[in-house]
Amino acid sequence: MDRQIKTLQDKNSYLDLHRQERVTLLEVLDRALDKGVVISGDIVISVADVDLVYLGLKVLLSSVETMERLRGAPMAGAQEEPT
Amino acid sequence: MKIYAYGIIDFHNKLEEPIEGLEEKGIYNVSYRDIGVTVSELNEETREITDTCILEHEKVVERLMINFTVLPMRFLTVFNTQEDLLSMVEFYYEDFKNNLQRLFNKVEFGMKVIWPADTIKKRIIDVYHKTKHNISVSIDSPAKTFVKEKFEKHIIDKEFQEEANRCIAVVDDYFNKIAVEKKLKRLQTESLLLNASYLVDKDRQNEFKQAFEQLKNAPSDLKFLFSGPWPCYNFITLTKKPSSVDYFNTEDMLNRLLAQQGFAQERNSV
Repeated sequence: MDRQIKTLQDKNSYLDLHRQERVTLLEVLDRALDKGVVISGDIVISVADVDLVYLGLKVLLSSVETMERLRGAPMAGAQEEPT
Repeated sequence: MKIYAYGIIDFHNKLEEPIEGLEEKGIYNVSYRDIGVTVSELNEETREITDTCILEHEKVVERLMINFTVLPMRFLTVFNTQEDLLSMVEFYYEDFKNNLQRLFNKVEFGMKVIWPADTIKKRIIDVYHKTKHNISVSIDSPAKTFVKEKFEKHIIDKEFQEEANRCIAVVDDYFNKIAVEKKLKRLQTESLLLNASYLVDKDRQNEFKQAFEQLKNAPSDLKFLFSGPWPCYNFITLTKKPSSVDYFNTEDMLNRLLAQQGFAQERNSV
């Protein structure tokens, strides 16, 4: 699928492949872990605890802010650390 | 052998193209009336959440999106038997049909907006101290100081929220006329100004992307993370409650049963 993930306002900002994949994964986590068709009831097996959506979000924020620091332009308000 | 479900689709026949799912198992379609549930068999008793398996789930859903309208299941939705799966589909059939019709030819876009929260807050505090809200109290009155600090915090927080709402309105305005539906989550953290999902007609995807380009190029202190097109994870609405709740847990059901036996009055009077 022709997925686009764009970050930061600066046109010259750069995401290497690994970091791009990481951001993609976090965006998937943000959706697939508690969105979509959520069936609760006795007939569905709980395979694992999947209540991790905010964890993903925090890591994502950290990722963006880490990128800012790496680019030498600390972003105001950057306080979240990876959880 | 358990059954892993990937999504509900608007197609009830056998899938023509082979698709590989979790544990390299082939995906097949379990039909119910005019819709289907795409599934694969699952051997393991338990699975850990790994990068690989969640991306495999997403890959299957996106593969299905090419040919069908898909209601993606939440990751790790597993059934013991095909009978369990079919009874679930039977129960939610109307909901699934309504969602499939509403989401036909639609995709989801995501946008996270980060703003410089500390800078915004500092600016609000500076303005506050220059306005008439500033109450003068003597420094030797701890109680008054305490009240003053509480009051200041309340005013500053309120202004911060209002500033966020103003900023979100400006951002959202870029997409309002293009998106069919939207979900806006405001200030999930102080820095995360907006976590938005927009539902967009497939035919208007480019228009939507252009709107984002305009927003991105407009002068501001905002940072964006824009992604899509996604399956419509955020726009599925199920109106029916799970059957276990309907039949075993509700007060209404208990009252109805008691009423049938003529015990309602006695129970209510206890």
